[in-house]
Amino acid sequence: MPKCIKSEGQAIDYASKLLSPEEEEPFEEHLKNCPDCTEAVQSFSTVLQLTDQAQSELRLPELALQDIEMNVYKRLAAAHEQTLLSRVRASIANFGSLFRWYRTAAASTIIIATITITLLWGRFFPDPVPPLPDEQSAVARIEQYRQQDIQRNLEEVMIAHHLRNDEWATESQLQRMKEQAHGTNWMQVADAHLQNLHSGTLNTP
Amino acid sequence: MCIAGIMDKLIDDEMLVAQFQSGRQNAFDELMKRYKSKIFSYLLRSVRNYEDAEDITIEVFFKAYRALENWQPKAKFSTWLYKIASNLAIDYHRTKARHPVSALEDMEIPEANLVATDLYSDPVQQVEDQERGRIIREAIDQLSPKQKAVFMLSRYEGLQLKEVAETLEMAEGTVKIHLHRAVKRLQTLLRPLWENNEI
Repeated sequence: MPKCIKSEGQAIDYASKLLSPEEEEPFEEHLKNCPDCTEAVQSFSTVLQLTDQAQSELRLPELALQDIEMNVYKRLAAAHEQTLLSRVRASIANFGSLFRWYRTAAASTIIIATITITLLWGRFFPDPVPPLPDEQSAVARIEQYRQQDIQRNLEEVMIAHHLRNDEWATESQLQRMKEQAHGTNWMQVADAHLQNLHSGTLNTP
Repeated sequence: MCIAGIMDKLIDDEMLVAQFQSGRQNAFDELMKRYKSKIFSYLLRSVRNYEDAEDITIEVFFKAYRALENWQPKAKFSTWLYKIASNLAIDYHRTKARHPVSALEDMEIPEANLVATDLYSDPVQQVEDQERGRIIREAIDQLSPKQKAVFMLSRYEGLQLKEVAETLEMAEGTVKIHLHRAVKRLQTLLRPLWENNEI
């Protein structure tokens, strides 16, 4: 380790390329005559080289990345439902205290006022402004991502079947598509393709 | 790519945030597209487990979505996003330190699954490389959560020390101290291994 006046920190900064040009040049001059610092720089550089290599080997799973947007919107939808549920629970918990006559009177007034405003609103504003496409709810987003997922799987089916001629991959993609398309017409499409695949007549997915 | 898609690429993050704040939800989708891979890889390096990295990434964007309405552009959007990710990663490591998983549970995601393999290279060499990588990543795991966060952000996420300081809400000098301690600790752990040709 450096026994000279230069700190180890400077050797680490030099190895990490964190020194400014004004600091780098004099330090390089110093290295020419300081075996301790030279050895320290070499050692820290080895550490960084090894860790860089180990980190660069990590791979990103593309499939997990594809699902992230949909899962974020699912999480948002679940949180929204939970908030609503907790509000309902809180209201039920507070219900007992509403029996005091003045609270009951205030609540009745609010309900009557709300009904009146709703009826008048319908009369004076008969054509509500349709929601903008950008203002989709989390549920609509989830559906949108589900549709995209189904389409992506259909593309995978085509690639597996026509380009790779891989029957096993074609079948597993179709099964995956079927699971995702549950409750939609795409499920029947996937079923038909699976039947054709098993009977050997699958041509155009 | 459609024109809207090209336009989105040209718009900077802060402008997309402004669009989101004025009600354009698609702007958040674009922000997710831009950062999901970076945040996921940062978290994967930090927690070294696919499922946990994915869950925390979802949590990052969930928190960002809910807080974005009141977000003020005091720092870059990316710095703010890394701040959420870093805090969650630090929490994760603290929880894990308090409740360590059993060896059996820990074996659920084998190290080999985290590493890209080359089908054409020598299998013996591959096993050796994987083992070397595992030892080094385990050494990184031995850093304190803050040392690890500083090391990861400055080394692999391309953040300047000033940005790391903003992300972790530390003084720049403190960031340097954590970085120096991290590298020094790694040297202490790894040096005997490379001197004995074990890595």
